[in-house]
Amino acid sequence: MRIGKLIIAGGLVATIAAAIYVVHLDRIVTREFEGRRWTLPAQVYAAPLELYVGRALSTGDVEQELRLLAYRRVSGALRTGTYTEAGGEIEVGLRATRFADEARAAVSLRIVTSGGAIVNLEDAAGHAVPIVRLDPLLIGSIFPIHGEDRIVVTPSEVPPLLPAALKAVEDRTFDTNHGIDPLAMLRALWVDLRSRQIEEGGSTLTQQLVKSMFLSPRRTASRKIREAIMAVALDAHFSKADLMTAYINEIHLGQDGDRAIHGFGLAAEFYFGKPLSELDLSEIATLVAIVRGPSYYDPRRHPDRALKRRNLVLKEMLEQQVISAADAQRAAARPLGVSARASGAYFPAYLDLVRRTLRRDYREQDLTETGLEVFTNLDPLVQADAERTLDRELARLDRARRHRPPLEGAVVVTEPQSGDVLAVVGGRDVGYDGFDRALDAHRQIGSLVKPFVYLAAIETGRYDAASIIEDQPVAVKLADGRIWRPRNFTRQDYGPVPLVRALAESLNDASVNLGMDVGLDAVTRSLERFGLTEELPQNPSLLLGAVDLTPLEVAQLYGGLANGGFRTTLRAVRAVISAAGKPLQAYPVEVQPVAKPDAVYEVNSMLEHVFDRGTGRSALAVLPRGLTFVGKTGTSSDLRDSWFAGFSGSHLAVAWVGYDNDAPTGLEGATGALPVWSHLMAAISTSSWDEPMPDSLQQITIDYPTGLRAAPLCSSDPVTIAVPVGTSPPIKPGCPGGTLGAALSSTAENLWQRAGKWLQQRLH
Amino acid sequence: MTHVGTRVAVAVAVTAAAACSSLIGPPYQAPPAAASRQPPPPAYVAPPLARATVPPPPPVSPPAPVPPPPTPTPREYRLGSAAAALVAQAQRDAASGSPQLAEGTIERALRIEPSNPLLWIMLGQAHQSAGQYELAGSMGHKALQLAAGDPRAQAAAWRLIGDSLRARGRNSEADDAYSRADNLVPE
Repeated sequence: MRIGKLIIAGGLVATIAAAIYVVHLDRIVTREFEGRRWTLPAQVYAAPLELYVGRALSTGDVEQELRLLAYRRVSGALRTGTYTEAGGEIEVGLRATRFADEARAAVSLRIVTSGGAIVNLEDAAGHAVPIVRLDPLLIGSIFPIHGEDRIVVTPSEVPPLLPAALKAVEDRTFDTNHGIDPLAMLRALWVDLRSRQIEEGGSTLTQQLVKSMFLSPRRTASRKIREAIMAVALDAHFSKADLMTAYINEIHLGQDGDRAIHGFGLAAEFYFGKPLSELDLSEIATLVAIVRGPSYYDPRRHPDRALKRRNLVLKEMLEQQVISAADAQRAAARPLGVSARASGAYFPAYLDLVRRTLRRDYREQDLTETGLEVFTNLDPLVQADAERTLDRELARLDRARRHRPPLEGAVVVTEPQSGDVLAVVGGRDVGYDGFDRALDAHRQIGSLVKPFVYLAAIETGRYDAASIIEDQPVAVKLADGRIWRPRNFTRQDYGPVPLVRALAESLNDASVNLGMDVGLDAVTRSLERFGLTEELPQNPSLLLGAVDLTPLEVAQLYGGLANGGFRTTLRAVRAVISAAGKPLQAYPVEVQPVAKPDAVYEVNSMLEHVFDRGTGRSALAVLPRGLTFVGKTGTSSDLRDSWFAGFSGSHLAVAWVGYDNDAPTGLEGATGALPVWSHLMAAISTSSWDEPMPDSLQQITIDYPTGLRAAPLCSSDPVTIAVPVGTSPPIKPGCPGGTLGAALSSTAENLWQRAGKWLQQRLH
Repeated sequence: MTHVGTRVAVAVAVTAAAACSSLIGPPYQAPPAAASRQPPPPAYVAPPLARATVPPPPPVSPPAPVPPPPTPTPREYRLGSAAAALVAQAQRDAASGSPQLAEGTIERALRIEPSNPLLWIMLGQAHQSAGQYELAGSMGHKALQLAAGDPRAQAAAWRLIGDSLRARGRNSEADDAYSRADNLVPE
């Protein structure tokens, strides 16, 4: 009697406890699922390619960009996401897309190129289009550390075949079950018992969803029960359509280092580089195949397994009459078609810069969870060229320097006028999200500092490009009483030389003499005005570049030269908009005058001669003909760092080559970084440095070795420089002098300059 | 109240931009041997080569040991058709009360012709109307640096600099800037 009562009481308590547990789980499920907002990492986009009549782009260039954006070439009818090409004419069905400033509907476009430039641009109706942007390339996202990355899709973006395939393969009773499929569970249990380990889940899609959303990945019996209860609860409260959408956005489909690929939207981009809505049957089947085991069926690492399982998926779809036999056969005959590189384009070093910019203005959580869209200045074509060039040139240098450890390097490319950062390469292994040398390698800049010494000198008004300085051994007494004796790189002294020669040939003795005369203060001030933020050692060795900077900081400094004395803030990010499309933040172009344009012009025109007479001569064979460049080599003590910084009219690039452990490389600026720089400038085919000469300056010709004024035909080594109007260096003995002679030489100079330009364009 | 002020300022900017857009030239023709993937060079009207060798005599020529350098034939900056289309769009943006959008659109044009002083002047005018006077002045100076040889563009740059100075209460410097503009191209 007593025992019976106890049993009843115990049973009652157990039932109540179980009921409470079920209600508890039900609450969790309802609350969590309803309030469910997937954490949406910020999506980061490259600068869109602008198309307009007159733009120098070949059909090949346009096609390359379209392929990067995963447009498929077709021969028949044009659909969104495809293009046709025939005889210099491209017709493309542009996707609907969102830019920082506007949303654009899907539109078709005809692009006609001829002679390497766009000659006609019109819409489907044949109306001329003055300017149009291609879609911005998705270059990555800012996801939490060890966190989930995803692109959320709405039901309208899901191809109908996908849910059909999921049901056919993972959960045949999805439409009718109540969250669990007892028969399937029993079947799975039987298999598990026989093999004495848990192999089959027998889980419905709802159970898989619960597992992913609410539970830890451990497989225990009690967790299985919890999962089943929650699945039933979820099914009771929500529609099948909602559950399917949630599943499609939730499920884990791959791993990319620390980045977990969640949802079919991102998986489509990650594996095929295109939007989910554009996947074909075989691609959908591949993604459905991956669901069962993202690492086991990884189509990049285990293509055979993935292909086998994809075909199994196709077979089951056929069995369930989701697709026809013909479709199944055709799809099964196709290769996997997975893109070679994860997510189409992945630029960790550039993303690093983007992340740092955004962290100044946003909380980490906003970046990784609220679905911001970030529009950057990355130029995918320049970035690709920069990566390729660095890799190729370092490999070549390594081959030439056998038995030495492989070199490292970094490259930064900007558009100097606007300050847009176009490309960042943080090292040789461009896909590696690790040490970003472009942003974090603080290395001695050596002679890269010299233009700022010469600028400070010219700004005093006491020097111009033709002024004579002494290139002879110097001894500078340091603050601690020691004597500093710098030497020329060549261990020779050249005596009295004009400024232009001392700078072009990077003469140390002359530069120290000049800098000591101008004063360390003035040099420091000029560096600071151009954007140097760190504390500079007030030590004469500053004059030879004993200061550690990153390639990005060098790009900031040289930007002021390229920009004619205006400092522009370097910008990786252009604008940020919210997930709903509301503009949140713009990073506008900012300029600030930091030096007189004429002084900067004088320095730049001296630096032009780095290429024809100075330390950069070896680049002449590589650089495109007829274009003018301005640049400077840098080499640190004991050849630990090899630098080159320079610019054309539209691109500024900084290249660094060295070892991470600061070991000597045996390379000068001209032998290490310059080849990287010059091949890059040749690859991106840029425009000439063509700044208009300020009205306060004039061009004159001097004898390069002596700095004496000489008509071009009166010197065996004439060089053209820019000096303030009225500057008149002493006339070279034996050359026509006086007013008449100078007038003659002035006319001759004009002719000579034109002839020189003409020759330059044709000879080298 | 401030809102009304902004509107008025925007309207002023639009008028100014419209004045500038009268400089918009005929459609820009692509150079025949264009290097790939590059924005076109600024579409200024280059002086014919033959004329450059016979320069007009300079207005003032003080006796000097060295004769003055040959005066270059004045350049005249214009906008290419793509940049012109964007500027027109920026004017519509500004007119519809979205000055920020207008600014972004001018920046878009600037990416196509970064060395065209006219675009720097327009961007500076946009900043001026948004109350960012110092940045507006900097852009005026930037335009001036690029406008060497183009008196009309130089004059427009000086007027922008004058506006920026006057807005910051530096009236005598502003007057100096305006008179420089008037000396180049009388208003």
